[in-house]
Amino acid sequence: MKSFFKQRNNGKAVGLLAAFAFFAVLPLFIGEGYISLVNEMLILAVAASGLNLMMGYAGMVSFGPSGLYAVGAYTTALILIYTEIPFGLALIAGPVMAGIISVVVGWFCVRLTHVYFSLLTLAFSQIIHTIIFGWYGFTHGDDGIVDIPVPEFLSSITNYYYFSLIIVCICLALLWMIVNSPFGKTLQALRENPERTEFVGIHIRRYQLAAFVLSGVFLGVAGSLYCGFNKNVFPDFADVMKSTEMLVVCLLGGIYYFLGPAVGSIVYIFLDKTISSFTEYWPLALGLVIIVLLIFMRGGIVGFFSESVAAMKERGRAKQHVSH
Amino acid sequence: MNLQGLVIQLLSGMSVGMVIFLIAVGLSLIFGTLQVLNLAHASIYMLGAYLCFWISSMLSQVSGSFWWSLLMAPLLVAMFGGFLEVLLLRRIYGREMLDQFLLTFALILIIGDLCKLAWGVEYHTVDTPWPLDKAIIFGGLVFPRYNVFLILSGPLIYVGLWSLIRYTRLGSVVRAVTYNREMANALGVNVPLVYTGVFMLGCWLAGLGGALVAPMSAVMPGMDMVVLIDCFIIVVIGGLGSISGAFLGSMIFGLVTAFGILVAPRLAIAFGFILMIVVLIIRPWGLMGKPER
Amino acid sequence: MAVNDVSLNIEEGELSSIIGPNGAGKTTLFNLLTGHLLPDKGRILFKEKEITGLSTHEICRKGIGRSFQRTNIFPRLSVFDNVQVAVMSWRKKSRNIFLRAQRLLREETDEILESVGLGDKTEKTAGLLAHGDQRRLEIGIALGSHPELLLLDEPTAGMSPEESERTVDLIQGLAREKGLTLLFIEHDMNVVFRISEKIRVMHMGEIIAEGKPEEVRANEEVQRIYLAEEA
Repeated sequence: MKSFFKQRNNGKAVGLLAAFAFFAVLPLFIGEGYISLVNEMLILAVAASGLNLMMGYAGMVSFGPSGLYAVGAYTTALILIYTEIPFGLALIAGPVMAGIISVVVGWFCVRLTHVYFSLLTLAFSQIIHTIIFGWYGFTHGDDGIVDIPVPEFLSSITNYYYFSLIIVCICLALLWMIVNSPFGKTLQALRENPERTEFVGIHIRRYQLAAFVLSGVFLGVAGSLYCGFNKNVFPDFADVMKSTEMLVVCLLGGIYYFLGPAVGSIVYIFLDKTISSFTEYWPLALGLVIIVLLIFMRGGIVGFFSESVAAMKERGRAKQHVSH
Repeated sequence: MNLQGLVIQLLSGMSVGMVIFLIAVGLSLIFGTLQVLNLAHASIYMLGAYLCFWISSMLSQVSGSFWWSLLMAPLLVAMFGGFLEVLLLRRIYGREMLDQFLLTFALILIIGDLCKLAWGVEYHTVDTPWPLDKAIIFGGLVFPRYNVFLILSGPLIYVGLWSLIRYTRLGSVVRAVTYNREMANALGVNVPLVYTGVFMLGCWLAGLGGALVAPMSAVMPGMDMVVLIDCFIIVVIGGLGSISGAFLGSMIFGLVTAFGILVAPRLAIAFGFILMIVVLIIRPWGLMGKPER
Repeated sequence: MAVNDVSLNIEEGELSSIIGPNGAGKTTLFNLLTGHLLPDKGRILFKEKEITGLSTHEICRKGIGRSFQRTNIFPRLSVFDNVQVAVMSWRKKSRNIFLRAQRLLREETDEILESVGLGDKTEKTAGLLAHGDQRRLEIGIALGSHPELLLLDEPTAGMSPEESERTVDLIQGLAREKGLTLLFIEHDMNVVFRISEKIRVMHMGEIIAEGKPEEVRANEEVQRIYLAEEA
């Protein structure tokens, strides 16, 4: 049994290294347009994985992740256009600010459950949207903030790609650590059965708030990173469509798998660009994809494959059994 | 701002509130019975508006074309709703909330794009029907008759719906299912049929709202999302599942938005959300709802 | 009013039961003791300290554990994880985000699983276990938070007579071995009279009789209630 675990972990480590190497050498083979595309996938992967900490692991379905994402993006953008603070600090300020806002918003939200929780998160993100949209003098309203200054060495597409890749890897590693920690396991227990979790001595609201804030910080990282990538930010970063996009990404990949949201991001952006290139009816296609997923592939892409692999192994074992 | 202006604002706030009431009450009814928060509810409303436009333009030679479409559009929408319920929604009852959100969100995308395919991306208008195309002039106030019609039709539908649920056999069946699904099932109520029926009723109301709104605003893509969020605000204020709550919520919402625009135009939309947040925090089950069992 | 004017004194190390017809307020009493419901009046003391008004998780930390009438586990987690979550919470590790949970407190968790007879099913998904195993896991989770007082709400509900007997032996063994104070609600009179050192009878929210099994058996009021129930 023990050796089996070791083997599996080694396999995982090799797989992750291979994935990293793949993304690292990718720019050597593809054009700048595609590098941008991959960069977008990477950033979305952080946002979706961050959201999934709260949603897939802790079972708290937020309707308003885009609010915190936009807080990250706008914090960085505003600092860069109004002050001389260096890029690195502006980038850190995004998630910090998103974390602070999460504490306030989350403090209220974790008092509610189910639909009520979701609706409250939606209301808060709409408030954030309204502030960004309405405070013209400060945030430039629906004109957005454009031509955000980014340091010389990060202004090339390839350099920014490597920069993102490193941050994304760090974020995913941190998230991996969190979901596999005692805290992460406690969150899963909370998702499964909040009442019972309370009866084993867990102050559930505090844990939910912690999950909310951690999620918010990662959403903030994604926002800030996207701000540097896009060099323009707009109020629709905070709107409902952006939130639902993140939810769909998580579903697509599979919310009960660590890599689900990351895989979902890659597939989602790929589908988006491919389908949009030959029809304007991408939403229609997306809607149909979601329905198919919900009805035929409930575990998402990662779930589908890992279940297939498990089934194959099971069949293999059964065969061995017969031959003995 | 003089008194006349205030009265006009009050009346227009109420006419907005009453149309949204029709949509919100359907959303609330569906949630109360089916325990599904149907995100696509506003898309159903949009479909109602498009169908109203389509039917009235096809019947443009017939007199009273609008009234015919007002009758037919909601019925068509209700049938479409029944089709959705039987084909799709039925598969996800009792699943996690996220699945319900995503399925109904997918419907938003699909219905939105189908409307675009059928009627294009440009906006359409429906003429204000006779005899409501004039204005009422009263004590120096000029106010469109159509808006008065809307203000009156809201309470009418409310009373009708309330009596339906309260006093009829049908209503008691719906209440039984809402209160305890297993028990109703054990007592021989055909629960799936009630679900389909309530869903169709909700869709009929949304379709009616859409048809009624067609003469006073442009029919175009995206008109659903604005209303969706407004509906959330209303049902949360009033209490999810409560008909009276939806009515009260719509009145409050209509007035807050109408007067909010006077106070702070850019932030008007935020007032609704602030109201929603306050209600959710203090009384999550809403002003007229009951605390969760 | 589900529970009214109840005065109850549980001695350390005692193995006692609460019986009574359906709706007598037994589970409500448990909910009051564990902070799941707040009493309108009255006080609850545990080890001579006031615990009235504390929240559920605080009361759990003071050393009161419970199991539920309707199986209340973490269905999609493994059997091991179900108990480990409780053990981690008791050992104040739950907040840690830097440790790896996989092997954490393994021996302690395995020991508890062994003691409730699930030692060979640790990697199974809890929700897929047989009913009897889920009931035992329920007790295992409660044991994970190292209670001094364990409240069991119908631990043998829905079990076959053989299984029920096995579970009762297990409970009795546990109580003796770990020096637990045990209070359980039970409908199966065979179980009640076999293992209880003391029996309390609840009816209409009140405790109407209390004493050794033979005393309770002889009590006229108790006989009347139970005969009326069966008639």
